[in-house]
Amino acid sequence: MIRVEELTKQFEDLTRGTNIALDHVSFEVKPGEIYGLLGPNGAGKTTCLRLLSTVLKPTYGRAIVAGYDVSEQPEKVRANIGFMSNNTGIYDRMTAWEMVEYYGLLYGMKADQLNQRLEYIFEMLQMNGFRNVQGGKMSTGMKQKVSIARTIVHDPPVLIFDEPTSGLDVLVARAVLEAVAALKQEGKCIIFSTHIMREVEKLCDRVAIIHKGKILDEGTIDELIERHQQPDIEEVFFKLINELEASLSEKKVNPSESV
Amino acid sequence: MNWNNIQLVFLREVRDQLRDRRTLMMVAVLPLLLYPALGFLMMQIMLSVTRQEQTVVIVNAEELPAPSLMTFLSPNDAQEALVVLTDDQAIWPAELELTKRERLEKLLTHIKDDETKIHHLAELKLADRTQSTTGDALAEAEIEQLRIELEQWFEEAKVEVIVIFPEGFREAYEAYTAQVTSGKSGVEIAAPKPLILQNSANDNSVLAAQKVKHAFQDWEQALLDQRLEEVNLPIDFVNPVPIDTLDLAEADKIAANVWSKVLPALLVLFSVTGALYPAIDLGAGEKERGTMETLLISPATRTEIVLGKFLTVMLFSYSTAVLNLVSMGFTFQNTLSAIGAVKDSPMGSLTFPPLTSVAWVILFALPIAALFSALSLSLAMFAKSSKEGQYYLTPLLMVALGLTMFCMFPGVELRPYQSVMPVVGPSLLLKSLLLDGILSKAVLTYGIPVLVSSIGYSLLALWWAIDLFQREDILFRESERFDIGLWLKHLLREKESTPSFVEAGVCFVLIGLLQYAFLISMQSSNAMSDAVSMMKVQTIYLIATVGVPPILMALLLTTNMFKTLKLQLPEWKFIAVGTILGFTMQPLMLELIHRIDWFFPPPPPGAVDMMKAMTAEQVPFWLALGAFALAPAVCEELAFRGFILSGLERSRRQWLPILISAMLFGVIHMIPKQMFNAALLGVVIGLLAVRSRSLIPGVIFHFIFNGTQVAASRMTSDQVNPKYTEWMFLIDPKTGEPGSFSIPLLLICAIISASLITWLIRTWTPEKPLDQFFLRRESHEQPATNQP
Repeated sequence: MIRVEELTKQFEDLTRGTNIALDHVSFEVKPGEIYGLLGPNGAGKTTCLRLLSTVLKPTYGRAIVAGYDVSEQPEKVRANIGFMSNNTGIYDRMTAWEMVEYYGLLYGMKADQLNQRLEYIFEMLQMNGFRNVQGGKMSTGMKQKVSIARTIVHDPPVLIFDEPTSGLDVLVARAVLEAVAALKQEGKCIIFSTHIMREVEKLCDRVAIIHKGKILDEGTIDELIERHQQPDIEEVFFKLINELEASLSEKKVNPSESV
Repeated sequence: MNWNNIQLVFLREVRDQLRDRRTLMMVAVLPLLLYPALGFLMMQIMLSVTRQEQTVVIVNAEELPAPSLMTFLSPNDAQEALVVLTDDQAIWPAELELTKRERLEKLLTHIKDDETKIHHLAELKLADRTQSTTGDALAEAEIEQLRIELEQWFEEAKVEVIVIFPEGFREAYEAYTAQVTSGKSGVEIAAPKPLILQNSANDNSVLAAQKVKHAFQDWEQALLDQRLEEVNLPIDFVNPVPIDTLDLAEADKIAANVWSKVLPALLVLFSVTGALYPAIDLGAGEKERGTMETLLISPATRTEIVLGKFLTVMLFSYSTAVLNLVSMGFTFQNTLSAIGAVKDSPMGSLTFPPLTSVAWVILFALPIAALFSALSLSLAMFAKSSKEGQYYLTPLLMVALGLTMFCMFPGVELRPYQSVMPVVGPSLLLKSLLLDGILSKAVLTYGIPVLVSSIGYSLLALWWAIDLFQREDILFRESERFDIGLWLKHLLREKESTPSFVEAGVCFVLIGLLQYAFLISMQSSNAMSDAVSMMKVQTIYLIATVGVPPILMALLLTTNMFKTLKLQLPEWKFIAVGTILGFTMQPLMLELIHRIDWFFPPPPPGAVDMMKAMTAEQVPFWLALGAFALAPAVCEELAFRGFILSGLERSRRQWLPILISAMLFGVIHMIPKQMFNAALLGVVIGLLAVRSRSLIPGVIFHFIFNGTQVAASRMTSDQVNPKYTEWMFLIDPKTGEPGSFSIPLLLICAIISASLITWLIRTWTPEKPLDQFFLRRESHEQPATNQP
């Protein structure tokens, strides 16, 4: 469902000059699987997911999402994914119903089919209470539910969640995680980025630990713990990151190694 | 493109804007409430202004000859009435307040004491106006003291105007009359002149003085009639050629004249204001609120999103313009008729423009709104936040204001060149439409060019908006603080082999500013007195303003000056192509320019002088060649095909850098005809430079192109042997002088040029932008091994 090969993204930056946000990253996600991207802030998670959702174009490498190449058929890719992140806000002057309906229409759904789907989603996510409330007047929890509804309105086979729980209170975060778990049961192919270990342990079938634009290691949680001989995933995470930092500072001391 | 998506985005944005109070305020509330309120306020102010009391004091009223001036100063119309007081306090109105009475008395005594000095002051002031005579410094200081005192007395006594009749005025007047009526002549009797004191810094005083002067005119007329009667002359004796004026313009024509100036200007202004806020909200606002990314991950393409947004902005810009104009028109008309006082003036008959005019305004609002909507959307898209958006869009408003002013100048009319200028074209066309109707010559001649060019500009602006919306660095500009120090450090530290897009822009602006500074300094000096020094100045000017900046910038800001300025040897075939094109393009361009000469405004006198200097006999050939061929070929190529084009090429597009550098090359030439010429040539030279990756073929082309022109202009007809050149020119049958180029020659040149240019276009070998990536990867290979 998702196949990523050597995906690379380079940015021009005032302070740092040329900055490689994602450095030849490769992985694969199958249907009915939740793949976790675990990394600190600025690791390249958001860049990776933005590349998969075709909002950014790769500098090098390729990614096939739901059978379409992100560089060649971006519209097809977007029609077959649901994407949710902190940055995907909802409109202040639109009601919950209008917002989800608008996106359904943009996904090309027919009016009666869309109506049925909307009724189903609003029922499932318990959103009927604020159907006609405008975005500006919603609580964070309500907004998050609208975002989830917007993500799944067209019933896409691939779902991409970029730190969907960051900044939420515990109850709302839990509801979001439950929704993600429920989507897995429906057989969706899900990629999920976070920097919270517990979410990974609870939700993800396989994890990639990502730092400074590189995937340091990937596998099931048990595999990772065993391979690095650490008590839990948190320790694995810090071990890998420390190793990378150490090798980088070593390089700085001996610049002759790098060209 | 999916129209369904455009429609969806459009409808959503419109609904969103309609739910926004700010937008409603701008589009609907402002025109519907503000203008009527303003009109009402204006009426109130006018009414209160006319009721204000104005006091006129007449000193030495006993010196007035009959009939009395007083009757003229207080006409029956109550609104016009002045409070007229003479120095005869017995007839002062009883209701005059005690304090005012006291102050007036004081004023009168002051004036009577200083009467001679005051007359002296008046003489001095009048003399000042004609010639600056410096008299006695002490006396002047005293007089200045008196002026200040008078100003104070005026203020204290609340008097607007004082009229002083000098002692003996009546006697002199009567003596003169008696002398004239008795038929005697010889002795000149000079009556002393009455003096009107006013303070022009005070509006009320100006108004009162105007009324007093009108009254004086009427009074003078009455006195004159009296004198004529006494000598038994008819009253029309002093008016031997009575004139009647018939104004052919009817009231609605006068109105049309006023509207034709006002409406286009207002239309431009309101289109911008209407586009501003929705554009900021839809562009920067959406980024700021974090809904932009939500929209970007929908299947709608970015073009569709931009078009939907553009149509929304345009709808609001358009409706703001139309609603505001209609509401203002109604208010204006009603206020004017309500005030009534202005009925006598030609503006008084200013009726609401006829329906046809309204229809034209509504039609022409479309292209103007389209252009401003696309422009403001682009700028708003570029901004990171609403606040930044406002900063970027204010200059647009300023530019619009400038253009507005330009269109309002009397005598600015549609000409070929103006017709294709953005905003100015449609505004001026609208002006002619309102003034002369649809069948006027200007409308029939320029209607289509104006419309086509306006649509073209709107599409260009829209394309820019779409292009910006495709760019990741624009869409996801993280809220990285812009720090000028950091930026400069970055520039100097992290140099790259060729300049950046921005640096190319800076280079162009620098050249423009230097040229401007140079031209300004030249205007005041007399370095351009003769032809030879003119040539020398021209050469220095080119080197200093066009040649030096790119070299310095390349040295300072890039690591590879030779690559930046394209100072590398090209393949020989490109040199050959440049040389041949230099010769073959020359007749083609001259012919083209000659054919479309009517399109451009005449060149300014300075440019004509320069052309004359080029052919002047005292200028040696090598100097003319240096100033007009060698210096431009080297300097302009270094700047436009060197630094600027290299910077623009970083966009990794094929045609855009060539076209932009050509356009900038045109702009720097300033004179419209040369701008066109240069821009067109710029495309060819740009293509040469990009394909050969060298400046040399372009320099050769430029030198040959300009050089042959210099050579041809200096050739006299006796130096030309018709045997060899008759195949080149068509001989004018009337004068026998060579005229335009012969058709076969043009055909041959066209075929050669076209095939060489086609060849240039086809030889495209793109650089591999990703090479560096593979290298980078090798060196960074796997810093940490994960395997145990």
